[in-house]
Amino acid sequence: MQRRLPLLLVLVTGIFAALPFFIPHHSLQAVDETVRNDVLRIIAAFSLVLGVGSILQHHFTKIQRKTSNWQYSWITVVTLFVSAVIGLFGGIDPSHPGILPTHIGHFSFHIQTLYMNIMVPLAATMFSLLAFFMASAAYRAFRARNLSATVLLAAAFILMLGSVPLGRMIFHPLPSFAEWILTVPNMAAKRGINFGIQLGILATSLKILLGIERGWLGGG
Amino acid sequence: MADTARPDFWTRLQAIDRRWIYLVVWVVVMVPLIFPFKIRPVATPPVQNLFNYIDTMPENKALIISIDYTPDTQAELQPMLIALLRHTFTIHRKVGILAGAYVQSLGIGEDALRQVTAEFNSHARTNADSVLNGRDYVYWGWTTPIITVMLGMGQRIAKVFPVDYYGEKTESLPIMKHLKNYDDAGILVSVAGSSIPLYWINLAQTQFGIHLGCGTTAVSAADWYPYVNSGQFNGMLAGMKGAAEYEELLEQRMVKNGKDWGLRRKGSEAMSSQAAAHLAIIAFIIIGNIGYFISRRRKQ
Repeated sequence: MQRRLPLLLVLVTGIFAALPFFIPHHSLQAVDETVRNDVLRIIAAFSLVLGVGSILQHHFTKIQRKTSNWQYSWITVVTLFVSAVIGLFGGIDPSHPGILPTHIGHFSFHIQTLYMNIMVPLAATMFSLLAFFMASAAYRAFRARNLSATVLLAAAFILMLGSVPLGRMIFHPLPSFAEWILTVPNMAAKRGINFGIQLGILATSLKILLGIERGWLGGG
Repeated sequence: MADTARPDFWTRLQAIDRRWIYLVVWVVVMVPLIFPFKIRPVATPPVQNLFNYIDTMPENKALIISIDYTPDTQAELQPMLIALLRHTFTIHRKVGILAGAYVQSLGIGEDALRQVTAEFNSHARTNADSVLNGRDYVYWGWTTPIITVMLGMGQRIAKVFPVDYYGEKTESLPIMKHLKNYDDAGILVSVAGSSIPLYWINLAQTQFGIHLGCGTTAVSAADWYPYVNSGQFNGMLAGMKGAAEYEELLEQRMVKNGKDWGLRRKGSEAMSSQAAAHLAIIAFIIIGNIGYFISRRRKQ
């Protein structure tokens, strides 16, 4: 029963989720709309509780056991609560205030200020580091070792040159040629890959619905 | 006696400390940002097509923008969002904005709307010239799950978003009288740093036939060409270059509409820095390969 019930639930909900795409009958569409607008949202709300509970449990365990870098867990927990409280009760900004005062004199700490001054710089900094790693990797690993690598190198070269003004100055049709690489050979390869991926998704979905693939149930 | 011969120049160059590479990248990115050189972008067909489609949208059709990116890709994608908003307000079309996939996108939309509405309202002479929340645009905010949003908006947007980002009842906003579902939208543009545009195709376009466009990071642009070619996307802005090309077209449109305000074009401003970085990486690849072949020949 412990395994049969989840399998049955997946089978029924999986088939029901697919049916409205094929049967336009109004009664089925009405039930589908209710499921999407109400049931799914309730499930999503539960997943939020699960997510917050999980992150708190993880970090409190780290703090309790004093594992490596446990001090940072406090930062996560405090940040989670502060941003949640300000986001829920502090309004968006001074023109859309909430019930919680979010400024001391001229110093404002409403959610948009926190977002623009903490979240945005932190995320942008992390992502911009990629440029440095990519440059280093291009220097060390991008070698014309064999025919395939040489073709890849040539394509990358043309695309990079084609997207800077110098490319047009060196050879006027280069940007158009770079565009052709993207819209013809690249697209043909992508289409083939996409067909493969979609067929794979279809097969795996059917295996899950029919209970052939049970890895998601856990227990190895 | 042990062989203490110093490795030759090319061998040493191949084993160069990566911090030198980082330094070069930092310099080639920073210097053109401080002292930019003028680049005039030429619009590629996917950019031109998207611009033309929005530019010629019927008056009773609105633009929907789904912000499907987070602050990590903001530098590359925010100029697209700004340009799309400016374009819509320039041609006096209505716009509905949502944070489609990620809750982290909420602040991005708020920031862009503040900037663009301030630009237009500072030049407005009459109430009709102004850009007003609820009349000219609506910011629906974010809700979950995404399947509810994408399919539900095809039936009734106000049901998916009962209140907007600022807590106003969406049904009470004047704009919502003309923007009930996808039928009232000329096109939906997903500005995304991930695979979310594919969901818009699978769920919104396949079910409701809405026209789609996308703005994407340069690194994932190659993934979307099949959909541009098939006509599922009316057009596409690929990376910073795509944003710069759109800004160029938009500037011409704004000048033509008497809005020669000399607004900042962050996509175009960053092009000189990006061009320099591309050239530096090309140089790295050439030097790396020369070193590789010389070392290999010497070993043989």
